[in-house]
Amino acid sequence: MLNVDFNKLAELINQNVSGANATVNTTEDAKTDSSISVEASKIFSVVEFLKTNKEMPFNALQAVSGVDYVEWMEVCYIMAHFDLTTPRELILKVKVTDRVSPAVDSVVSLYPAANFQERECYDMFGIKFNNHPDPRRILCPDDWEGFPLRKDYVAQKVYNGMEVFPDHKMNYDDREFIVRQDMIKKAQTQAAN
Amino acid sequence: MQDGVVLSTVDEFLNWGRKNSLWPMTFGLACCAIEMMATGASKYDLERFGCGAFMATPRRSDLMIVAGTVTLKMATRVKVLYEQMAEPKYVISMGSCANKGGPYWQHGYHVLKGVDEVVPVDVYVPGCPPRPEALIEGVMTLQKKIANERLLRNKWVKHA
Repeated sequence: MLNVDFNKLAELINQNVSGANATVNTTEDAKTDSSISVEASKIFSVVEFLKTNKEMPFNALQAVSGVDYVEWMEVCYIMAHFDLTTPRELILKVKVTDRVSPAVDSVVSLYPAANFQERECYDMFGIKFNNHPDPRRILCPDDWEGFPLRKDYVAQKVYNGMEVFPDHKMNYDDREFIVRQDMIKKAQTQAAN
Repeated sequence: MQDGVVLSTVDEFLNWGRKNSLWPMTFGLACCAIEMMATGASKYDLERFGCGAFMATPRRSDLMIVAGTVTLKMATRVKVLYEQMAEPKYVISMGSCANKGGPYWQHGYHVLKGVDEVVPVDVYVPGCPPRPEALIEGVMTLQKKIANERLLRNKWVKHA
């Protein structure tokens, strides 16, 4: 990532946002995918701090995305600072452990760009964003069941009178299909525990 | 007198008129629509076959070219559009996605596995996406099909 001293930034967050518990996740190649993890309950204050501070400001939120690791879920905020002298970029991560009703605070009031991104994250992972101005699904139909990008997701049988997987058009012996079903089953048992 | 008379059957005459003025609906769903646009444009010139007049409303069109992936969300809309078209109406299913779900047929939770699940299809055009020549062949196949219709004993005309 560009022009970010991670340790210094994590320290700054910890000093200014109490309970944020910012930690640096370094990778082998420290210049590429390092990130900062913070507490899910403090995400709004952390993003607010990152936006408003004088030392290392970030003036844009580029993406909000979800990841399902089965044991936990993660929301990643990719922040950036567009500036001719010191442009920078940062991956900010929060961990959500509750699979039944996961929720984090919305940052739409800070960055309007988060509106659709958070809706997509809700649509695909079922992570609720508190205080979101328009908390609907964005891609799937409103009456769709389940959250498609979760690892233990199984699609519904019938939608609106249409069969989602008509038996006469499926090849259940397909190797990839069996592998995929095994992966889903494994994720389901893992998520149940 | 001899030069001024053309003999034909009513069926043949009506079918001739019908097959040479097929008006498709302006209706593209995915990348196949790009090929459909190319087919309609000057290089492949669908107008040669009398079906280049893409209508912007289902009420004025005879042919629906389902060009692209039909998602479950879209499928209900496709059905409504088909029902809005005036009879006689025909459907060409263009490309693998509309034929049978395409790359989404085994794992795609959001894709209808073939548009024939919701509307009756006359001609299937395979390909991903089909080249303009393939779509033209599909249109010509449909024209042959229309040419062989027995209009006066047809399902469209009641009490014939």
